[in-house]
Amino acid sequence: MKDVAFIELKTTGHGVLEMPSGTGKTISLLSLIVAYQKAFPLEVTKLIYCSRTVPEIEKVVEELRKLMEFYSKQTGESNNFLALALSSRKNLCIHPEVSALRFGKEVDGKCHSLTASYIRAQRHSTPDVPVCRFYEEFDAVGRQVPLPAGIYNLDDLKDFGRRKGWCPYYLILHANIVVYSYHYLLDPKIADLVSKELAKNSVVVFDEAHNIDNVCIDSMSVNITRRTLDRCHTNVDTLQNTIQKIKETDAAKLKMEYRRLVEGLKEANVARETDVYLANPVLPDEILKEAVPGNIRTAEHFVGFLKRFLEYLKSRLRVQHVVQESAPQFLKDIFDKVCIDRKPLRSVSATLSYFYSFTIIIEPFEDRTPTIANPVLHFSCMDPSIAIKPVFQRFQSVIITSGTLSPLDIYPRILDFRPVTMASFTMTLARTCLCPLVCNYPQTHTFKNTLTLTLVDSVIRNYGNLLLEMSAIVPDGIVAFFTSYVYMENIVASWYEQGILENIQRNKLIFIETPDAAETSMALEKYQEACENGRGAILLSVARGKVSEGIDFVHHFGRAVIMFGVPYVYTQSRILKARLEYLRDQFQIRENDFLTFDAMRHAAQCVGRAIRGKTDYGLMIFADKRYARADKRGKLPRWIQEHINDGSLNLTVDEAVQLSKHFLRQMAQPFRQEDQLGLSLLTLEQLESEEMLQKIAKIAHQT
Amino acid sequence: MDEEPERAKRWEGGYERTWEVLKEDESGSLKATVEEILFQSKRKRVIESHGQVRLGMMRHLHVVIDCSRSMEDQDLKPNRLTSTLKLLETFVDEYFDQNPISQLGLITTKNKRAEKLTDLAGNPKKHAAALKKAVDTVCLGEPSIYNSLNLAIQTLKHMPGHTSREILIILSSLTTCDPANICELIKTLKSLKVRVSVIGLSAEVRVCTVLTRETGGSYHVILDESHFKELLMLHVKPPPASSSSECSLIRMGFPQHTIASLTDQDAKPSFSMSHLDSSSAPGLSLGGYFCPQCHAKYTELPVECKVCGLTLVSAPHLARSFHHLFPLQAFIESPVEEFQEDRFCQACQGELKDKSIFTCPSCRSVFCVECDLFIHDLLHCCPCCIHSQSAP
Repeated sequence: MKDVAFIELKTTGHGVLEMPSGTGKTISLLSLIVAYQKAFPLEVTKLIYCSRTVPEIEKVVEELRKLMEFYSKQTGESNNFLALALSSRKNLCIHPEVSALRFGKEVDGKCHSLTASYIRAQRHSTPDVPVCRFYEEFDAVGRQVPLPAGIYNLDDLKDFGRRKGWCPYYLILHANIVVYSYHYLLDPKIADLVSKELAKNSVVVFDEAHNIDNVCIDSMSVNITRRTLDRCHTNVDTLQNTIQKIKETDAAKLKMEYRRLVEGLKEANVARETDVYLANPVLPDEILKEAVPGNIRTAEHFVGFLKRFLEYLKSRLRVQHVVQESAPQFLKDIFDKVCIDRKPLRSVSATLSYFYSFTIIIEPFEDRTPTIANPVLHFSCMDPSIAIKPVFQRFQSVIITSGTLSPLDIYPRILDFRPVTMASFTMTLARTCLCPLVCNYPQTHTFKNTLTLTLVDSVIRNYGNLLLEMSAIVPDGIVAFFTSYVYMENIVASWYEQGILENIQRNKLIFIETPDAAETSMALEKYQEACENGRGAILLSVARGKVSEGIDFVHHFGRAVIMFGVPYVYTQSRILKARLEYLRDQFQIRENDFLTFDAMRHAAQCVGRAIRGKTDYGLMIFADKRYARADKRGKLPRWIQEHINDGSLNLTVDEAVQLSKHFLRQMAQPFRQEDQLGLSLLTLEQLESEEMLQKIAKIAHQT
Repeated sequence: MDEEPERAKRWEGGYERTWEVLKEDESGSLKATVEEILFQSKRKRVIESHGQVRLGMMRHLHVVIDCSRSMEDQDLKPNRLTSTLKLLETFVDEYFDQNPISQLGLITTKNKRAEKLTDLAGNPKKHAAALKKAVDTVCLGEPSIYNSLNLAIQTLKHMPGHTSREILIILSSLTTCDPANICELIKTLKSLKVRVSVIGLSAEVRVCTVLTRETGGSYHVILDESHFKELLMLHVKPPPASSSSECSLIRMGFPQHTIASLTDQDAKPSFSMSHLDSSSAPGLSLGGYFCPQCHAKYTELPVECKVCGLTLVSAPHLARSFHHLFPLQAFIESPVEEFQEDRFCQACQGELKDKSIFTCPSCRSVFCVECDLFIHDLLHCCPCCIHSQSAP
């Protein structure tokens, strides 16, 4: 009795799937893989399900719980599946002192200081060093004893940990299904800790993966500001002092201490972010195994080396103009200036061995405040495939899925893998519950100069009119997306001057997303309240912002989404420029193609917020003429494209209002479950009928 | 079904409407699905109403009319307000025709306030007059659902427990401006067993969905004017009484109409009690209905006696309410091809041209669609059955 979403998945190979949100993507994938797991327990041992945020992870676990209940109800036997959700230490820690800390970083640091191997080793000699008793308990008992079978979400895990006195964070044992965030698999810093021991014949699913390339890049890139360097400096000083002290007291101990230092710099020097890369599973083993070069083999030399490197970075940050260079150039420059060879650096920061895919950009000023010097050194990764490559290599099948992955072929290209299946599913609907409209505004601004958005007055007024008219006819909540914060501020300011805001406020309350997370969540809360009690509200937010990514506007919370303009990335950003160049050189993807692709996936993501299921309905208004062009239209997901016909292109405000009114009335008619039956909902008999089987075969054949 | 002639007249609607029609033709599937769904819900309604349910025959209904700015919208001709008021006039007539022992009151809401247009009363004329007068109302500001519900509760909560308490809101605006949290009020309504129904003129508003779901009412949004009328007429039928409502015997008086002839010397013109408070009407008349308990005189029925509080009705009134309790059975629908005999409707004698025919289950007479609706909506009895019964 589930959705018509059938996947012909060979369990040895990678796939890309696009399915509209709310159609049961998660449950279909879960049930399929679990069924496979049950049928061939030896071929697939583990399912790793990666999602984006904590609430999404919880949702997946709930779906899984339902599935398992269904299984045990149908088969009558209890099954021995163990499924876990995993999150950061911050969400899982049960240590009374540590969990009281507020920031993730603090928790991590504190936890580390209690559980690190050298601390624990120290405890053997001096018992008054504090350690985490939960971890000790786990280490002593829990490692061998598996968890009882069942489905655990984060809270369950915590409960279990508390009861047993084990640290839940380290509980990830022989679970059949693990649900956690991308970073556990992609970010080399974390992946090594958590995902190293996962079996090869696991199935990996990346849900909501439309941004996976950015996640990959982020996980490999580093930004260094002056503050980081200052902290580094202090740390190195401390290190030096310690070495000095130890040297005075115990020379032998020093040697041991130092050896550990070189092996695991991370523990000695947490703040030096670059060093953390030592723990990188990506790196070829030979580099790690390579002998530590002579000039950093003793402690003083090492500290001196670090200092020199630090000074060098500082001097680079002092520049007054923007510098962009490739990694080899950078290394050569280091060699020239402070006489550091590439080889020692490589063993310290071995990521540099991939230097072709990295670029160093030094920006003396921030874009927003061009007068205040705030130098940043971006050590930025250009190639998302680096981070994800081990995942593809290691696991027998990886599935990338999201509601918005169109065009499908670009993902395999930028992530550098060969998919076995690529499929885009559409929704089978009993009624047309989405209504995309494209309004005919001219291109509104050019990106000729940095941040001089040439806003035409008439366009702003047009936008304002559209919003005003829509606020009068759309019930409850409207979400409007702008392309950037600056742009939004400008437009809202002129609306205020033109008196448009005042008119809108007669129909609905207005809330605005700001870069401040606390403010935004406050606005969101009030927005939902206003939708709930009938006052109606408009949320002005920004594409690529927090609202556009993680927050669902179910039913009345989003009856209409208006997209003002095309959400191109800020094209003047040097990191982006470098990346575009890299894409062109390495993957033969034209700049324009990538930019449009990126803009359209964000636009689709934004408008997709409104429809979260088959009983939901919503208007999708693209307020920019450019959406009507074939290159833009073609990049929207298929389930949206299907509903754009010529009648809904190039509309004036009046026409859009007429269409919307009509649509909203149609949608308000009573809609019951039996209406869906046979169309988008199948009973068991219908599912097994000959006709339906043929239809399914046809769908499968197409894709 | 009965929408077809209405839709044919769409060309009268101005350019916006032709546009809408055009649009529907292009994506025909959309219209077809929605109509299919609508038709099914209509059939369901007929079937539903034939169950054995207790009906609240004595109704107290407050109709709340939105008079906010959005009522000036011209998507109903000439505008929403005029159209609504006109339909309401027919509704009021129909309401008292079908529910003679019920009462009705009108409330308008605009500019964040709610005002009483007419009090709860059983006299259709007064309401009709008020509705006619209201056409000139200036529409402004936002409506307030909270205030209007509150106003309605003030009178409804004093009504005896055996009667049904209902509120029907005709809401054009998509927003409501409330002085307090409406959720609290919904709870109060629920505890008072007030049933709130909403007819939306523009789109589905969440708060109305919640309001109607919680209080057991219905929520509909109109598609066009004919659909609006249909939805209004749904509320003419008495709703099933909630099982928990009080059940008691009610004292009623059946006064006879006495007409004193002018030749009778003893006849003296007298005042009707119902005219005491209204200054406008000329009070003196010869005949009238006299309360069997206290002999107060009234010119019209039904009414509650001002002196002794007895409900005065006439027998035909009760009889008219009677058919709700014993409704006519639904006719059996079958495709016209299966019907072998003469293809003539037993009622109108017209040829059966539509694709389905309707057969009365008890006398096997055949009717066309139009007559089926007419018989069920207005006659409430099968003409052929009556005919065969009365024949010797």
